Amino acid sequence: MSSFQEVVHRLGAVTPRLLAMLTLVMAGWIAALIARRVVARLLTAAGLDARCARWGLTPTLARVGIPPSPTALVSRLIFWLLLLVAVLMGVEALNLPSTAALMALVLGYLPNLIVAALVMVAAWVLANFLSQAALIGAVNAQVAGAPLVAWAVRWLVLVFGGAAALTQLGIAREMVLLAFGIAFGGSVLALALAFGMGGKEVAREILESRLRKHDEGEDPMARP
Amino acid sequence: MGDSFPVEDLVPAESLATLDTAGQAELLMGVPTLNHGRSIGQVLESVAAGLAKYFPTRKTTLLVADAGSQDRTLEVVRTWREAGPHVPVVRDLRLTGSPQRGRALLAILMAARRLEVRACGFIDANLTSVAPAWIYQLLQPVVEGEADYVSPVYTRTISEGTLTTNLAAPMTRALYGRQIREVMGGCAGVSAKLAAQYLQSHIWGNDLEAYGIELGLTTEALASGAKLTETHLGRKIVVASPGEPDLATMLARVTGSLFSLMERYHAAWEESGGSSPLPETEEAVPLLPEAGEARVQRMVRAFRLGLKDLLPVWEQIMPEETLANLYPLGVLAVDEFRFPSPLWARVVCDFAVAFHERRLPREHLLRALTPLYLGRVAAFLLEAHAASPSRFCWRKLGEPSRKKRTPSGLDGGRQCKEHGPTSWCLRSKRLYTVWAR
Repeated sequence: MSSFQEVVHRLGAVTPRLLAMLTLVMAGWIAALIARRVVARLLTAAGLDARCARWGLTPTLARVGIPPSPTALVSRLIFWLLLLVAVLMGVEALNLPSTAALMALVLGYLPNLIVAALVMVAAWVLANFLSQAALIGAVNAQVAGAPLVAWAVRWLVLVFGGAAALTQLGIAREMVLLAFGIAFGGSVLALALAFGMGGKEVAREILESRLRKHDEGEDPMARP
Repeated sequence: MGDSFPVEDLVPAESLATLDTAGQAELLMGVPTLNHGRSIGQVLESVAAGLAKYFPTRKTTLLVADAGSQDRTLEVVRTWREAGPHVPVVRDLRLTGSPQRGRALLAILMAARRLEVRACGFIDANLTSVAPAWIYQLLQPVVEGEADYVSPVYTRTISEGTLTTNLAAPMTRALYGRQIREVMGGCAGVSAKLAAQYLQSHIWGNDLEAYGIELGLTTEALASGAKLTETHLGRKIVVASPGEPDLATMLARVTGSLFSLMERYHAAWEESGGSSPLPETEEAVPLLPEAGEARVQRMVRAFRLGLKDLLPVWEQIMPEETLANLYPLGVLAVDEFRFPSPLWARVVCDFAVAFHERRLPREHLLRALTPLYLGRVAAFLLEAHAASPSRFCWRKLGEPSRKKRTPSGLDGGRQCKEHGPTSWCLRSKRLYTVWAR
């Protein structure tokens, strides 16, 4: 009888916290749903999808298998972020000894996550912009292998952005810095060697063409 | 731009005071300069001789507006003035601010207003083929009240001025319904009324001022319904200035200016309903033949490279319908290479729509046109070489039909699937139908 009373007593103590947790999660879920809709509408009104398409972000997302539009992506992220916060608050409401430490850990890490995500988005936009500029510039200069140049520019920026994001997250900071240094330095050395050994004819052609152009004066085609 | 635009701020106060001291003038010829030390002396000599010979009884002014030359331009002008020119009044203005040719043109128009001239004109300082008779041809129609804007026509070789012959002129003709042949001719005659109108127009204070000002002046004249006439001046020979841009940059500037003007003057070209010739002295101006096989090969190679490597970019600009017509051109041999005018018109209009909708960064979009332009010019040169030079004249260059355009008949009340009945897509379809007809 006493054990039954003890169970009832414990349940009586836990149930309000459990209810509080469920209430918080439910409220958070509803708030997240509302926030998702509001954010989606605001971003649609701001024309985020069109802007991202212009910056080359949408095709890049599609290429890496993220199908929804940037508006849908951001609104979903907001939804899951709010839900996560609600769950964490709910867990804290249980008032278990380990939850306080867990909350502090997660909330302390969250800004790093957000900054790292922003760094990656910025790197993505910049990589697309620069690789497109490199592609068009190389094609206009009639350089064979222009897509390779564009690809190299894209990945150089993305690797740099990735390294910056990982450093921000504090994941194997020394290893990331070392790996980045080796990869970057190695790439530059490899490119220099490749160009020097395999592309000396191309280099000569480019220099000759530039000098010839300089001697001949401007291109009459470029004159209106 | 309104009355409040500080045109006078372009010029230092002491220069303005000098300008005002001599009082009014009847005629003004302006020479905008920017590092034209190699050619300015020759141009000034011809302009002064023209004013003295053809307008001896009128009060004339020759004005040099310098946008900030760093070479010996000003020194040459000073030496020339001291040697005693043939015209009664010669003035020069040294502009403040960024070094842009458009600002020098703006200063010339501002001076025309301050001096209350009856007619004014401008001639590029690198146009060394200028003859004294040009001054008469440019100013006389304005003096007699026959025209508000006198546009030049030049005798050119086939490969000269292809940006004008294949892009700027046919597109401007298709848009504004007047069969003008030079839209960036390097000189023009302007009436006082039109000069005042230019100062009020919205072509100043932006990127047009830097690169497309002459295109802007022509467009404003066309769109405002000013009286236009053409005059055949002969050969156009220009001296290259240091630091002139490469083809891709020049093409991007001209095309960017064209598209920006399309946006600004949309009301004019949407409602434009005809295609009429301008009054002129000669009906047809033949293009001069020349050999250019090696250049054509290079251009076709550039087009093929673009088709191979730039397709992902073009796919964001042009619809599949246009691209499907471009694919077969990539496998044509050089001597069989063709890029039909209707297809070129469609390509340019697709670029205009993409520019308006900002589907790509604008500089990328404009530069992505270069291989297509080179393909079109290669086809144009091949076509011109194959034809009899005397038959291949300005009238053959993608001239829109003289028939009355009927926009509703062209569209048939259709709707663009994505953007509705008044979209740029639909307007551009109408445009390239008119251009390519």
